Order: sequence, then structure tokens, then C-alpha cells
Amino acid sequence: MARKPYHRECEEEAVCVIMCASVKYNIRGPALIPRMKTKHRIYYITLFSIVLLGLIATGMFQFWPHSIESSNDWNVEKRSIRDVPVVRLPADSPIPERGDLSCRMHTCFDVYRCGFNPKNKIKVYIYALKKYVDDFGVSVSNAISREYNELLMAISDSDYYTDDINRACLFVPSIDVLNQNTLRIKETAQALAQLSRWDRGTNHLLFNMLPGGPPDYNTALDVPRDRALLAGGGFSTWTYRQGYDVSIPVYSPLSAEVDLPEKGPGPRQYFLLSSQVGLHPEYREDLEALQVKHGESVLVLDKCTNLSEGVLSVRKRCHKHQVFDYPQVLQEATFCVVLRGARLGQAVLSDVLQAGCVPVVIADSYILPFSEVLDWKRASVVVPEEKMSDVYSILQSIPQRQIEEMQRQARWFWEAYFQSIKAIALATLQIINDRIYPYAAISYEEWNDPPAVKWGSVSNPLFLPLIPPQSQGFTAIVLTYDRVESLFRVITEVSKVPSLSKLLVVWNNQNKNPPEDSLWPKIRVPLKVVRTAENKLSNRFFPYDEIETEAVLAIDDDIIMLTSDELQFGYEVWREFPDRLVGYPGRLHLWDHEMNKWKYESEWTNEVSMVLTGAAFYHKYFNYLYTYKMPGDIKNWVDAHMNCEDIAMNFLVANVTGKAVIKVTPRKKFKCPECTAIDGLSLDQTHMVERSECINKFASVFGTMPLKVVEHRADPVLYKDDFPEKLKSFPNIGSL
Amino acid sequence: MQSWRRRKSLWLALSASWLLLVLLGGFSLLRLALPPRPQPGASQGWPRWLDAELLQSFSQPGELPEDAVSPPQAPHGGSCNWEACFDTSKCRGDGLKVFVYPAVGPISETHRRILASIEGSRFYTFSPAGACLLLLLSLDAQTGECSSMPLQWNRGRNHLVLRLRPAPCPRTFQLGQAMVAEASPTVDSFRPGFDVALPFLPEAHPLRGGAPGQLRQHSPQPGVALLALEEERGGWRTADTGSSACPWDGRCEQDPGPGQTQRQETLPNATFCLISGHRPEAASRFLQALQAGCIPVLLSPRWELPFSEVIDWTKAAIVADERLPLQVLAALQEMSPARVLALRQQTQFLWDAYFSSVEKVIHTTLEVIQDRIFGTSAHPSLLWNSPPGALLALSTFSTSPQDFPFYYLQQGSRPEGRFSTLIWVGPPGQPPLKLIQAVAGSQHCAQILVLWSNERPLPSRWPETAVPLTVIDGHRKVSDRFYPYSTIRTDAILSLDARSSLSTSEVDFAFLVWQSFPERMVGFLTSSHFWDEAHGGWGYTAERTNEFSMVLTTAAFYHRYYHTLFTHSLPKALRTLADEAPTCVDVLMNFIVAAVTKLPPIKVPYGKQRQEAAPLAPGVPGPRPKPPAPAPDCINQIAAAFGHMPLLSSRLRLDPVLFKDPVSVQRKKYRSLEKS
Repeated sequence: MARKPYHRECEEEAVCVIMCASVKYNIRGPALIPRMKTKHRIYYITLFSIVLLGLIATGMFQFWPHSIESSNDWNVEKRSIRDVPVVRLPADSPIPERGDLSCRMHTCFDVYRCGFNPKNKIKVYIYALKKYVDDFGVSVSNAISREYNELLMAISDSDYYTDDINRACLFVPSIDVLNQNTLRIKETAQALAQLSRWDRGTNHLLFNMLPGGPPDYNTALDVPRDRALLAGGGFSTWTYRQGYDVSIPVYSPLSAEVDLPEKGPGPRQYFLLSSQVGLHPEYREDLEALQVKHGESVLVLDKCTNLSEGVLSVRKRCHKHQVFDYPQVLQEATFCVVLRGARLGQAVLSDVLQAGCVPVVIADSYILPFSEVLDWKRASVVVPEEKMSDVYSILQSIPQRQIEEMQRQARWFWEAYFQSIKAIALATLQIINDRIYPYAAISYEEWNDPPAVKWGSVSNPLFLPLIPPQSQGFTAIVLTYDRVESLFRVITEVSKVPSLSKLLVVWNNQNKNPPEDSLWPKIRVPLKVVRTAENKLSNRFFPYDEIETEAVLAIDDDIIMLTSDELQFGYEVWREFPDRLVGYPGRLHLWDHEMNKWKYESEWTNEVSMVLTGAAFYHKYFNYLYTYKMPGDIKNWVDAHMNCEDIAMNFLVANVTGKAVIKVTPRKKFKCPECTAIDGLSLDQTHMVERSECINKFASVFGTMPLKVVEHRADPVLYKDDFPEKLKSFPNIGSL
Repeated sequence: MQSWRRRKSLWLALSASWLLLVLLGGFSLLRLALPPRPQPGASQGWPRWLDAELLQSFSQPGELPEDAVSPPQAPHGGSCNWEACFDTSKCRGDGLKVFVYPAVGPISETHRRILASIEGSRFYTFSPAGACLLLLLSLDAQTGECSSMPLQWNRGRNHLVLRLRPAPCPRTFQLGQAMVAEASPTVDSFRPGFDVALPFLPEAHPLRGGAPGQLRQHSPQPGVALLALEEERGGWRTADTGSSACPWDGRCEQDPGPGQTQRQETLPNATFCLISGHRPEAASRFLQALQAGCIPVLLSPRWELPFSEVIDWTKAAIVADERLPLQVLAALQEMSPARVLALRQQTQFLWDAYFSSVEKVIHTTLEVIQDRIFGTSAHPSLLWNSPPGALLALSTFSTSPQDFPFYYLQQGSRPEGRFSTLIWVGPPGQPPLKLIQAVAGSQHCAQILVLWSNERPLPSRWPETAVPLTVIDGHRKVSDRFYPYSTIRTDAILSLDARSSLSTSEVDFAFLVWQSFPERMVGFLTSSHFWDEAHGGWGYTAERTNEFSMVLTTAAFYHRYYHTLFTHSLPKALRTLADEAPTCVDVLMNFIVAAVTKLPPIKVPYGKQRQEAAPLAPGVPGPRPKPPAPAPDCINQIAAAFGHMPLLSSRLRLDPVLFKDPVSVQRKKYRSLEKS
């Protein structure tokens, strides 16, 4: 056996060798052992058995070390929080500076720690949990809140986590500062300062949802934290360091407690609802004035004063004597007021979003959660505090369709970024990650578009309206196997087209060399022959480096019936539609109601949904897409069946652009298998069946039918017009 | 002897196994005895606490610590944000109204033209009292207009100080609560959501129109340099980035890559343009790269990117950390062709939509502020960040992208399958009965509107049609034809002149084509523009040629949004021009649509005999065709107002698939189109 580097495997081998040896002895044993004395015999046998057992035990131990270890760790990891180590903070231990308001990523963040990372993911380290006490042994803070424990667990379970402090780019202290009210500020700051990699707070991330305290309620955590990043709920424009801090939601425990099923968008019983308790009297007056003015459509709720014992008052709201369930009542309203309290960030925002109610945020200078990436205009209405009395008319001016859009968007924001501590933690890390690896950042659409929109929308890769200059010309690509004579005719014909700039022959025959250079037709443009490694149809769509133009003409080696005018006109049409397949023979897909599947159609129809790539212009980018981004196993399927590469290309382009093909010029009798049907000769049934199968196969891989049916084709402006032929740009069109 | 040998080998095996056992067992025992340490590679993670269930929530729902609400906070000393320092109550009614302080004393030509441009815009108002925004132009130091404090200053409230060049003159009065629109402000002084970041425009930036983007093709040419670098003394050089090269950072010790070329003044042809350094140089480089379609790679810019409030720069540029050069380089090399393609195209769109002229920059600034005032009815991000851009997609029309003709694909929606017919009846005022019947015969026609625009009294009787028919008594003005009537409920409009003649099947086919190209005009009759060397100006002709660039609006399908654009975004002077010289109205409409779509219109087949009979200069009121004398003039006036020639030519016509094909006419859906 070969020697292996790992000791564990060596041990197993050793066990085997010894076992095998002992077996051998056992086999030979009867001949050997009876000659010894009985005393010795017993002695040896016992000894051997012990050794054997020991070895087997060791081997087994080595063999299943994981289960033993993990059960071991299970004991250790499942510790009690009361058992965490205690750290005493001397009264004179250093305190960090207050937060530096001028911090930006490029000044306060040490990006070198994030270094090169092929996955473009930051690494986050979490400090071990400790209990901090002051000189008198009085603890500095509560151990850890349920939410912060969840948050750290979420980070620890994510791809961001590392337990190697030396490889970490971001450090998260396990000191819980979610709620400033529970903190002793100075001592918490001292606890932060003594963290092993604190270094003025560089690359440290603190999570805080309830900042400030009475009486003035600062909008950011008051704990001095020097350069540490703050993920805070309730920032104002005065405290938020744009591009450095992260504004996060205030988590609402109701998100987990109450299951509010999604309610479809549309008008609801109340137009405007206020559910917050403990509002400033001034605001409450304003709201009640609205209620008086607009009657039933406005509902202003307050806490219940006359609830019987045992009823959870948090989950009830009252209007006069009417009792409502909270947060269920939010689902009865189209718009829900989210007013600032002493703090700008309010947990009610989360409840409102969950209910699919559009939040009306009345909190001047509040930085909405994740505003760096989330487009709150799509999900909320922000009203200045001084315009509170106009709220109703402002909301009424919003068109119904926009309201429904906002309702959907609100619910989606909750589902994606509010509904759990985990969602909040991961969104925060993603934002920081996007800053550090901006070229791998998540796009606006990925952050903001609800899944339904993401699925339904098409983003055309060639979205810029641009008519490429005619001078660029096109590259003709002829796929050939061995029909040299016909190939040469095609080359000669195509070379007459004025805008041809290069001709590429893809020689798909590995058994035969292409003809010698001297035998090829002499043409005015460069002619290149590319030899392929395998006879595959997809070779025709490979993005060869030789293609220097954007326009590609794919042409079969037997398409000799196209005139130079027709090809040149095809190129002109492509210039006006560079994001489409522009081709000559058109085909159609139809739904076969009897068979309940798609059918391929090549008859003289009034509609067209595909063009054959036996003669078609398209953008070379689609070659790249075909070769590298074709969904599923379509590419292999095409190569295996030696058919339908053109249908695959039609599917691909239609799917990625959402647009139909352009068929150019009148129908001709092309030399192609299915065209024989039109000649009234034998109908190649198997071919048609195969093509239909392709359509069904591709539609199932794409998960949809991307092809678009149109009823038009492109002709020259003066085609068949009563106009002197001599003056027409493309006279020779449509001749048979 | 033999037994001794046997015994010896036995003993050998035995001792060997003992040794092994002791070694292995001992090792295992050692591992058992020692407390487990985290193993490298095996991640330990945050512990699962046994008593996690007992943990308390961070906030107690019962406690309401916020009962003591403080009154609204006053803005902190001196600094401003939108809510604190801008009074939106002045902006009720029809959106943003801007007053511009007239210049005192002699002013530069640029200044005068900018003033003229704002005065001609839809934002302008004459009275400072009725204005919601007061604009203070602070352009060049020589003229000295920045030294005086304006009359209605009011501590700068609702003022915008517009500085196209960074700080042209020393600040002579306190800005107070005024907003500042400044070229590439530093991130430290910029107040997000309050100030506006402008691009750094070169001296010779065109006032209007402006040069289009320089990109001629969507994807980079193979073999083009990956990176262009700016030189310290100005100019650019390209670098073929070998992975080891680190061409811009002094901290790299390697030799610069072998592929470097000599520096050059103009921007070289490269996929990415690396811009580090400080403003204003970097900011002007940035704009240069944007125009050239060279994707800007900004290394830790200390200045705010222009219009960052509304423009999503991640779609057009890469902002990276200057401290990680190798990483940036690797990321650029590995960037997928799809991303490169998207970034390149976005640079061109943004350049063309917001930056190519001074006028666009100023209008964008005002539009940004108007969006803040509008709140929920502001432009959605999609409208700002995809063609044709927020200046051409008016949020006063709608805030839902699917109402516009440009975003059907992004929205996964389709134009609706019905259209409204708008028939303009000018003099002599014959009710177009035959036309109404032909149009009403189309299954896609949802309603017919007759715009009665002549001196004759309205006829009392109209033909019975299957679709509702509405008669509007117009103001006898040609521009009425493109007024956004609220009675038009469909996306598509078929605009007709009473004297046009169309068959039902022509209408049906043209409408189907329009559904494939909802952002373009689809028409039957065409004309084309040309550059007239002899007169040194533009001309146009309705003669039949091999190409065309305009379709006549006397018979054309287009999206109803273009009525809004025509009426609300065109300078008044142009609409007056159309009223005075009615032939211009076609040209004007074609200009707008071409400027928005950057694409030519579409022609569909039209019955032959009628084509000969159709008037060359349509829409001319009066029994006799007027001499087309004002026509060439009008195209030049319009082109001057646009600042460029947006019209594009097309060489194709869209016909039914079997049009005039040698196949039985019974197979054809649009048979009547072939009768000649």
C-alpha cells in the first residue's frame, strides 16, 4: 500500500496489518501453538487478545473521532450563560474617545484587514462572551439580550463568520448595546476599550436599536466608541455618518410572535390609522383633529385603560370603548402613521410593514432603516412634522395604483429585511460588504424589487438605443463540414456584400483538412479558417477572438440563394435593431391543443416567432451568452442531437431581451429539410417532430415560452412600390 | 532453534504492537484528557446557550420609556437639512417655480445664456413672491455679482446658490439656510439631501444640446486596452494589465507593466478609466471618461459624485478603495462581459441624459429639488436610471413606470391592446364620416375623439359607431392636436387628419406593429431631412426616397405620453412656432420623439393611389396647399432650439409577413393592403 500523509489513515492501516498477521497466526496456529507449554500458550493468547483489543479500540477511536469530539463539544458549547468568565474593569481603565463624526470608510476603516478575497466576502469575528464587573463586583450590564444572542448566532452561522481573529476584517463585540437604557455608559465603554483588537474601535461594529436616554434622547448611542461603526436604529441626519454607519430597524418582537398572513393590496377599511401609544399630546391633538374632520376613514388608537386583568395590554389598542387587536388592526388600514417618539426609530414601523400597511413616517431628519440601499419612496410616505395637518390630503393625492405598489413593497421590505434579527444582521453585513467590495455589490434592483417583479422583468443586455455605424461592417461565419464546392460559392456570394468586413469559416470536420490556401476563392476581405476540436453544432456560436465587429452573419454553407442586396439590407436592418435576431427564413411556434404541447410550424403563416440561423444577423454578445450562459443542459442537448441550435439561439435571445425577431425580405425557397414540404415533395415528418420536441424541451428548461410572435417583416422602404427600380437602394430583393 | 526463532519473531511482533498501542492509545488519551481547543479549519461559532430561553428581550414591551416626549428638535447650530431649512409651503400648486436673480452690471455671455435658458424653461416665474425657489447664479468671479447680497435673501431660506465652478469668489455673505449646488463638493462639506452635487464642467461646455456620447458600439472591441490611467501632468496613458503589474500605485515595487504606452492628451480607447487624485482634476476626468464610454474607476473619491441623490452610480462607475490596488485590478480583469456591457451603456445614457450640456445640468438640478418637494409623486429611481432619463420622463404625467412607453420590458408588462383615435378637423371642416367608419371598424379601437378646430359650427349629427365618439371643440390652434386630453384613456393614440384616408386593415396592422414598438411613432406617410449644403442648413422633403426620418402625424400611432411631453416640456417659443407655421407641428413632434427614443420612426405600408393623392405638406389649413416656404426655416429653428439634430433615418418598412408573396391571397391576413 502507498504511504499516506495523514496519521489517522496510517493507523488504520497498521491495525489492518496486525489483524491480518494475527489471522495468519490463527490459521497456522494449531500447528504452532500445541507445541508450546500450556502456560505459555495461555499467556500468549491472552497477551495477543489484549493487544488486539487495544488496537481495535484505538483504531475505532481514531475512526470515529468526530462523533466523540462533537458530543464532547456539545457539552462545552451548551454552556450556561451564568458560567461565562468574569472580567473586572478597574475604575481607571481607559475610555475610548467619543464617536468621530468625520469618519468615512477611507479614513477610519482599515481595509487592509479585508485584503484580497476571491469570494468578495468580508470575514467577521465575534468576541467571546464575558461578564464585566466593576471594582465592587457589580456587573456592568445585563449579560446579553435574547435578540443580541440571536444576532450573534446569525452572524456565526453565516458565510461571513470566522473564528480566526487574525483573518477577520470586522469585529463584533459580544457586549450587548442594543438598548442604551440597560447600560452603564462609562463602564461599557471601558469594556469595549479592553477588547483584544480594539485599536481605537477600528473595524468594530456595534449594534444599537434604542439609542439615547432621557431627557434629550440622543439619536445615536451615547457610549464613547471612537472609530467603531455603528449599526443604529434611529439615526438623524445630524448623527448619521453617511457611507460609514448603517441605519437599521428597531426590531419588533411581534414579528416573531404574531403571524400576519399577507393580505393582498387594495383599499382597506380605514384610510389612515394611528396605533402608537404614548404620543406627544400635540401630535395626538393633530391626529384627533384629522379624525374629526374625516370621520370613519381615520382611526386614532390609544392604549386601553379599562382592560380586565390578564389581558396582554401590549396586544390591544382602544378607541373610546372599542377594543382592537394589535397588530391585526394594522391590516385594516391603507396608511399607518409612524410618528417619532422621544426616539426617531420606532418598532411600530416593523409592525406596520408586516401588515402591508403603507407607513406614513412623520419624524423629521430620521434616517430610515437601510436607507443606503433601500428605496423608501417605493414603500412609504415621508411627511414633514409641520405638515402633519395636511397628511390626509397629501395621501389622497397618491394614485390608487401607486398605493397598491407601496403596500406590496412594504410587505416585501418586512419579509426581506425586518422580519427577524437574522435578516437585520445579514442586511447590515451585506451593506458593509458592498462598500468594501463595490465591484461585487448587490444592485438596486436586487435590494428593492420584490420577487414577483424580479421574475417578470426583462433587462435587455443591449438597452442603450444605439445605431452602430455602417462603417463597422459585419463578420460572416460559415459553418461547414465538407461541402467545399457549395462553401466556395457561398463565400463568393457573401463577399460581394459591401459591408462585409471579414469572413470566418468554421471547419467542423476533424477527419479532413480544409482545402489548401491557394484553392480558396480570392475575396476582398480577410478570410480565416478556424478548425474545431469536435464536430459540434455549438461551434457556430462560439465567441471567436477573430470576430472584431459587433454584427455577426451566421450563414450555412449551402445558402447561395441570397442576393447581395438582400444581405446588405439585412445588415442595415440589424443596425436599426442590434439587440435582435435579424434573419431570412422565418418560423413559428404554435400551441397544439390536441397534444397539449408546442408545435413547430414552417408553413406560409402570417406570423413569425423565430428566424433560422442558417442566414441571420445578430450581435456577437449573443455568442458569448450561447456559449457560457445557456440555461440548463440545452447546449449539450443540441450537440448530442445535432439539431435545433437555431431554435436554442432564438429562445436565448428572446428570453434575455424580451423582444421578437425581425424577419427580413419576402419568403424564398431555401434549401432546407422542411422546405421540401412546400415543394409538394415528401414531407420530412421526423424532422418536424424533432424540431417540435426541441421547442418543448427548451420551453421546459427556460421555465417559460420566451418567443414572441409578430406579424411583420422588414422590407426596403420602396419595396414593390411603383417607383423606378434604378432609384431604389435595394432593387434586387425577393427574386426567386 | 526453530522455536526460539519463532518465539523471537513472536516477541518482536508483540512488542511492536505494544509500542503502537502505547503510542496511539496514549495520544488518544492525551486528547481526551486535555480540554478541546478550537481546531483550525473547524469553525466553532457562537455557542448555543443552555439557558437561551431564559434570556430577556432587549426592550420590555410593557415599559414605555418614551412617555416623556420632548418637543421637536431644533436644528443643531448652523447646519441644515431639508426639513429644517426648506419651506415647502411656498411650493403648493403646480410644482417648482423658480425665480432667478437678474444679474447686476455686466455679465458674461455664458451667464446671459444660462439665464435665458432658465427663463425659457417650465420652472420659471417672474415674481420672487410667487417663487418657491430663488436661484442665485454664482458663475464667474470677474463680474462680481457674487459680492452682493440679494434683496429677498431672508437668511437664505428657499435659496439655491448655483456654482458651476468650485468657489469662484470668496464668500462675502453667510450662506445661512441656502442650499448649495456646487461642482464636485467635498464629502465633508456636502449635506446629503440638502445640497446638490454638480458635475465639474469644462469651460467650453456647450450650453444646449451638446455632443453625444462617444461610444459607437455596445461591447468593447477585442484587444482594446483594459485600463487607461491619468497622468499627473494631465493626459492619459493606457496599461495592459498583467496581473503582477500595479500600474498606478507608488507603493507597488514592481516595474510598470510592459504594455504601457506613452501618455497622450486625448482619452485612449480603453474599457476602464482609472481616476484617483483630487478634485477638480479628478472630477473633470470623470466627466471626460463618462462621455467616452470608458467606465470610470474612482479610487476613494473625496468628492461627491454628481447628482448622487438620484443617480445610481453603481450602474455606471466603480468606486473602489485606493488602498487595495491589486484587488481592484483583479476585480476589473475578472469582471464579466455582461457587467462591462451594462456599465458601458449606462455611462452613455447618463452622459446624454444629464451631463452633455449646461442646460441639462441646470434642469437636472431643478428636477432634483422638485422631486424633494413632490415627495411621493417624485420620479421613481427607475425613471432616473434608465433611458430616456428623468428630464424626459415627466413625473407629472405619472409615477408608475408602466404608464410610460419606455419601461414595458423592465416592468414585465405590455402595452394594452386598444387605442384611441384622435381626428383633427381643421378647415374646411367636413365631418370625416368615411374615416370614422374605417377606424371604428378596427377591433382594437376603444374610442374616437373628434377635435373640431375650424370656424364652422359643430355638426349636430354624427355617425353611429360601435365605439364611443366624443367631440371636442378646439381652440383653432394646431398645437391643440397634441394636448393631453383627459378623455384619452388608452396608451396608444391614432392621430388623424380629417382628410386622411385609411382602411380598417391598414389601421389594424399598424396598431399591431405599434405594440411591438410602443416608444416609437408608427406612421404611413413619411418625409426625410437632409443637410442642405447650398443653404448651410437643414431641409426636409416629403418626396419618396429610400429612407425617411419622420412620419406625418396626420396618420400615425404613438403613445399618449408624447402629448404630455409636447405640451408640458417644450419651450413655449416652439409651441408658438407650431401654431404660426402649422407645417412645423409634424417636424416638432418627430423631433421630440426622436430626442427621447434616439431611434427613427417606423413606416408601415399605405395604399398606393391614396399615397399619390395625399398632400405633401399635411395639416395645412385652407383649401389650397400653401407654398412650403416656411418649412425649411422651421426645421432649422427647431434644431437650434434643441441644440442638435435628433432625427435619425431608417431604411426599412414593416410589412405583413406574407406581403405580396407569391402565395394564395386566401392565406393572407392583410389582403387589402396588397390591392394596388
